[in-house]
Amino acid sequence: MQDDTRRGLYNTPKEIAEAVVFALPAILFLVCFLLIPIVGTFVSSFYRDVSYLPREFIFFENFRRIATDSTYWRSVYFTVLFVACSVAIEMVIGIIFSLIMHEAFPGRGILRGIILVPWAIPVAVSARVWELIYNFHYGLANYIVTALGIAGSPINWFGNSVGAFFALVITDVWKTAPFVAIIILTGLQAIPEDLYAQAKVDGTQFMQRFWKITLPLLKPVIVVALLFRTIDALRVFDLVYVLTKGGPGGSTTSVSLYAFKTFVAGDFGYGSAISVTLFIIAWLFSILYIKSSRFLEEVK
Amino acid sequence: MKEERIKRVLLIVGIVLTVSFCLLPFIYMVMVSFAKNADFLSLSSRYVFTVNNYKEVLFNANLHFLDYLKNSAIVSVVSAGVAVLLGSLAAFSITRLPLPFKGLVLFVTLSMSMFPQVSLVGFLFSFMTKLGWINTYLALIFPYIAWVLPLSLWILVSYFASIPRDIDKQAFIDGCSSWQILFKVIWPLARPGIFSTFLLAFIFSFNEFMFALLFTTDHRTRTVPVGIALFQGLHGEIPWGTIMAAATVSTLPIIVLVLVFQRNIIQGLTRGAVKG
Repeated sequence: MQDDTRRGLYNTPKEIAEAVVFALPAILFLVCFLLIPIVGTFVSSFYRDVSYLPREFIFFENFRRIATDSTYWRSVYFTVLFVACSVAIEMVIGIIFSLIMHEAFPGRGILRGIILVPWAIPVAVSARVWELIYNFHYGLANYIVTALGIAGSPINWFGNSVGAFFALVITDVWKTAPFVAIIILTGLQAIPEDLYAQAKVDGTQFMQRFWKITLPLLKPVIVVALLFRTIDALRVFDLVYVLTKGGPGGSTTSVSLYAFKTFVAGDFGYGSAISVTLFIIAWLFSILYIKSSRFLEEVK
Repeated sequence: MKEERIKRVLLIVGIVLTVSFCLLPFIYMVMVSFAKNADFLSLSSRYVFTVNNYKEVLFNANLHFLDYLKNSAIVSVVSAGVAVLLGSLAAFSITRLPLPFKGLVLFVTLSMSMFPQVSLVGFLFSFMTKLGWINTYLALIFPYIAWVLPLSLWILVSYFASIPRDIDKQAFIDGCSSWQILFKVIWPLARPGIFSTFLLAFIFSFNEFMFALLFTTDHRTRTVPVGIALFQGLHGEIPWGTIMAAATVSTLPIIVLVLVFQRNIIQGLTRGAVKG
């Protein structure tokens, strides 16, 4: 890009103006519907802003309320546990899927298409399918669990917090492990074949080659997938809203869902404060993500 | 030799497990959608085939399913189309023109794509209420364009940057304006990239849930994900057959799209999510 004669020190104001004109519509959309709302949410978080009452500046009062709000901390606890469990399992299954997809076999293209299907359809729709799958009396999950003898009696998935938690984790893994696999596959494709050929000559076993060659070389792309999934799982909303509605007894209410419910209840100030805490955590992870994904190298 | 054989068996087992893991819920969904009773897996019941669920979904106007489908189609096609158009203008500016602070623009845009939706939704709701846009297509299309723009911009920047600069330099020397270079030179060359971007932007808009949940109030603008999520029976019992028929009809186009264009989608995804 550096050698481009139309860039650099000798740009006329007219050329710069043209560049701005091209970028402006997109920037305006981003500013109006992403940047201003975020700033607005930060501002709101310093106000008492409840429906039908006058807005009042209360500085850090909302955040002080958060510090002692057990419902909030419970949602944090659930969210952290959900992120840890689902992302960990997704990474393992995603790596296995990517190893399979990397092999040459007839119908590989079809398999890559099939693997995208759970990822591509709306969460709200697949969550309804899973709601039926987890049905206590006649759902597929209990049919499989009892037929295979994993559990002696049917599991009451939504009746207790542990069942509901695992129902959410399983569904999330089903939806996003394929996505992880696609990302990791790009890393696998970048590993030169002759590294393996040499290792084969040296007589190393398949598993040894995986631990000694594949995994270390995949590390950067695994980190990227891990961070991306962490950011995404931190803001989990659709899945819990549809599948468990945050229950039973609020045990699966994510931070997103808690903030959303607070908004719907008409408390914009407090809802904003809750979502600001989530925003800050997610934003810190996204800085790490951008750094590790080497995105910006492209334009330098 | 022995290792090769073990590997082959493992591969076949892996493929079978992968396919069933991904597709079992869909097979179940389709089976329930054609079943008279959704409880056919229990011992006291058996499978009875019927198409009544589909008749219900497609012809019972009170369910408004076709309205949801129409709303979703309009909102996602318009949002994805505008996002790709604006994204390619901006990507052209970033890769070809002397845009000031382009690194900063890209950095901010990328970090925007990771905003939790819930930290936007409260402000946007008040904003839409003030504009009187609640329960109109505009209340969805405008936020959706912004929502899918960061990803679109990133994929397009990556594609545009891979087109050799000599080509458009030649067009510039021949007296083409920037607009002509973008639409007559870059667009035709980047067609696969533009198509991938459109597909992904379409899928993301089609799947969006939280904004649609809050900014729509009835069948005039409600989209498929919200319609199906809020679908409850009238008499207490959840009409699983009808819901699964609706889910099948609305996911079928996406499934076909994904199977046919998996190469484009994977390319777009990997360009949008990972570099290098």
